[in-house]
Amino acid sequence: MRATSREALLALLACAVTLLLAAALGSKPLIDTLMRLAIFGLYAVSLNILVGYTGLVSFGHAMFFGFGAYAFGLLMQTGMTSLPAAALASLALSAVLALVVGALCIRLADIYFSFLTLAFQMLLHAVILSWVGLTGGDQGLQGGIPRPRFLGINLADPWQVFVVTMVAFFASLLAIRTILQSPFGYALRMVRDNAPRAAALGLPVQRYKLAAFVIAGLFGALAGILMALYVSGAYPNFAFWTLSGEGMFMIMLGGIGVFLGPVLGAAIFLLLNDTVTRFTEYNGMVMGVVLLVVVLGLRQGLLDVVMARLRPR
Amino acid sequence: MNLDAFAGCLSSASCLITQTSAGLIIGMLLFLVACGVTLIFGVLGVINFAHGAFYMLGAYLALTAYQLTDSYLAAVLCAAAGVGLFGVAFDRLFMSRVYNSNVLMQLLVCYAFVLILDDAVKMIWGAEFQSMGMPAAFALRPLHVLGGLVPPFYVFLVAVTIAIAIALGGLIERTLFGKIVRAAAVNRQMVSALGINTSLLYASVFGLGALLAGAAGALAAPVRSATPGMGVSILIESFIVTVIGGMGSIAGAFTAAVLLGLVRSFGSIGFPLFTDGLMFGLMVIVLLIRPQGLFARRSA
Amino acid sequence: MAHSGFGRPGRRSVLRAGLATGATLALPFVARGASKQPIRIGQPSILSGRIAQLGISSRNAAQMVVDAFNAAGGLDGRTIELISRDSKGKPDEAARVVRELINNDGCQIILDSEASSGAFAVQEVVRETGTLCIHADSETTSLTADPKIRAANAFRCARQVLHDSIVGGSYAAGIAKAQGLKRWMTCSPDYVYGRDSSSEFLDYLKLFEPSVEAVGATWPKLFAPDYTENVTRILETKPQALYSALYSGDLVSFIDQGNLYGLFDQVKFFAINMADYTTLHAVKKLPAGIYSCNRYLSTFPATKANAEWSAAYDKRYSVLPLNWAWQNALAMQFLVEAIRKTGSDDGKVLAGALRGMTVESPFGAKGTVTMRAEDQTIVDYAIGWGVTIPQAPFVEGMEPADWTVITARETEWKKQKGWA
Repeated sequence: MRATSREALLALLACAVTLLLAAALGSKPLIDTLMRLAIFGLYAVSLNILVGYTGLVSFGHAMFFGFGAYAFGLLMQTGMTSLPAAALASLALSAVLALVVGALCIRLADIYFSFLTLAFQMLLHAVILSWVGLTGGDQGLQGGIPRPRFLGINLADPWQVFVVTMVAFFASLLAIRTILQSPFGYALRMVRDNAPRAAALGLPVQRYKLAAFVIAGLFGALAGILMALYVSGAYPNFAFWTLSGEGMFMIMLGGIGVFLGPVLGAAIFLLLNDTVTRFTEYNGMVMGVVLLVVVLGLRQGLLDVVMARLRPR
Repeated sequence: MNLDAFAGCLSSASCLITQTSAGLIIGMLLFLVACGVTLIFGVLGVINFAHGAFYMLGAYLALTAYQLTDSYLAAVLCAAAGVGLFGVAFDRLFMSRVYNSNVLMQLLVCYAFVLILDDAVKMIWGAEFQSMGMPAAFALRPLHVLGGLVPPFYVFLVAVTIAIAIALGGLIERTLFGKIVRAAAVNRQMVSALGINTSLLYASVFGLGALLAGAAGALAAPVRSATPGMGVSILIESFIVTVIGGMGSIAGAFTAAVLLGLVRSFGSIGFPLFTDGLMFGLMVIVLLIRPQGLFARRSA
Repeated sequence: MAHSGFGRPGRRSVLRAGLATGATLALPFVARGASKQPIRIGQPSILSGRIAQLGISSRNAAQMVVDAFNAAGGLDGRTIELISRDSKGKPDEAARVVRELINNDGCQIILDSEASSGAFAVQEVVRETGTLCIHADSETTSLTADPKIRAANAFRCARQVLHDSIVGGSYAAGIAKAQGLKRWMTCSPDYVYGRDSSSEFLDYLKLFEPSVEAVGATWPKLFAPDYTENVTRILETKPQALYSALYSGDLVSFIDQGNLYGLFDQVKFFAINMADYTTLHAVKKLPAGIYSCNRYLSTFPATKANAEWSAAYDKRYSVLPLNWAWQNALAMQFLVEAIRKTGSDDGKVLAGALRGMTVESPFGAKGTVTMRAEDQTIVDYAIGWGVTIPQAPFVEGMEPADWTVITARETEWKKQKGWA
């Protein structure tokens, strides 16, 4: 418990420092970058619950990112729900989706699991594209997402969106960290390392996998909601396989075995993407080479390397 | 949904002929790409996520070779050989380093190559889409069979594909190479212990898979325009074929490809807006009922 | 400008205020230094992936206008700097790139060369920042027609699906009447553009020629490699005429695969996006007698100015211009003329000048194009339909559209939608 309260303090501190720093500098590019970092960082951390901690290589995680964004945007566009209600409702819907998809997927092992998650994601993507009446098809949710005031918070104001995003980001990190450091989290690691042994010890392996899948889906959807708020819309590529691929890329860059690795990975990914895009249209070439170097050269993420050095042998 | 049209088609000979042959054609083109994926997975246990990019490379090589030689045969041979060699190099230099790692590492190496190859093609051949055009030998009028229409070029494609399927089946089932490959798929340490150079074996299987992808790109080039990034839709389709047929099974891939081709050709009559949904749906159902696929040897 | 919420003036406005003060204090060298700063125009676009052609031809065309403006001395020595950046076709990345161009690179104006989904994302960003924006590649009608989506600071300088459908419907109705084509079918890509284009085309076709009937539709997926199932579906339905909104590589594949079945001997084919040079060149065996709208043709309108522009573009980039090229050239021309006319780079001032502005242009139906004030989109650009032939100039018998018919139908359509 003491560790948890120390981490809560750390998260609070980090959040406060970020906000103060952004307020002091008042730089819009900085604020934009931090928002995107929070969104993709949370997305990558949520994916790593599956990939890094449970050993489930999901290739369809963007399904939840996209679903969260669309559910939230559509609810807000009805004009009948308040913003927090819409966010909570979309999270609840995403959890249901994760429960159903997860229940079907976790029955399969290894690559088959990856494929089934990919298939479900492509199914969702196909539905988004063809259900034009509801989703706007390939053009996405049009006309912006309305942001009525709630509890004195006005999300039409970019600064307040920034504050809300940061608070949600750090709170989510803390929540995920707490979950992963709990006995449940350690059980997940045992499932990852040796599922038959975990089962022999009486652990309901399938139920643990399913729970991890739902939790990951929930936070992936939250990242999607924040994204919808940030771009004031939702687009089919939020649920496309490329975003799932980019999630893996981020995790791999930053480090699989370290809690904050994916956040660092997201930061490097975004920095790299933004810098490369400024100078060349051959973004894919550069990103591909970097990825190759990391995967084949380091064979693990940056934070993995650092932690391995720091750790006493 | 249009069930009247669907029923009408089922009761008309000309419609049955046209749609069945169309289904076969779609299926054969699917199989041509998918058999490489399934071969590589069957032996190496690796999903070649860059297979679509190999297909693209084949189409572009064929385009250039055709412009230089004006011979479709030369174009197909050049593309198949070129992509095959590229596959061997790709295996030796990159993939072989992650054979013993987890799925994630393998996926990422392939993903990196998808990004690199898409941009490389754009650098070399330009961003504009290109089209080869129909070789004069095949620019013929469609054949009429019992009132249905069958284009001669597709008859040729189907024949070539069936020949490839038989040759591939023969190679795996009847030759020494096939025996070793099958043995390696079951137990690679044992094969290695028998003094067989497994690196060479893996490189040749990977190269063969790549060669098939290159040949597919080249064979389809007369009727499909080439653009950077064209590999993605092909890749997804061939994954569906591989998964339904059972990963590693050539016969399974063949059956699944024909099945999907028929689903698409008849689906376009009965459910014009949902043919893709039908394909994904079929894949989900197969994975849930029989996760290892229709014909797989491995268990999931 | 409506940046609010950060509680303090931005660095840029402080800087500008400081410079303005300097200018009023009559320090000539400071003032001149300030006025020599280039006017920055940001261009988010798609420069990689399957439709990189869109971004490349958009950038090429805009750059030509910028270079001419700068060579002519700019605005009292101030040049325009065009900053093009790749969004890779992702709407969220387009939104990011626009923010970066505005906030980081100091762009005062956005020339949006995104396809439709990206354009809608850009629209939301400029709605928030208040930056002047011209959309030069999105043809989706609702972007400017729907009052909920329209923004006071955003304009469109591109053709519009609704205009194309009215013209296409009326042209096709004439041919349907003359040749007795009653049974029609559509084959368009299954996404919003394809669906809108098909349904609006059929609406106007039926309006102008009530005797036609739609006997079926088939919807290939966007970027589909294989159209066999669609071709055989069409053969099975046996329509007399076929309408398609397929474009670029997809249209070429469809024609190549349709040729195998002799499809175009059996139906009259109306392909709205056929007459664009890359497409015309890529089809190795262009069937004669395809009806198409002009995307861009150097021979339509058949004026010296149009032929010269096309030749200049070809000379500089060694490739013939596409539809996206004329739209971006025109958009940049609108900006340049507004800058010259007002002597300002302020978005609000320029927007005021752009509303209702008419410019002389090779792409005008009658030599001019107007930025209509009421919905901030262009009218009077050249639209026409003709018939393909297998060699240059590829299309003949171009019949220009009547803009009084287009605007009358458009007003009626907007009334039905409750948008006018």
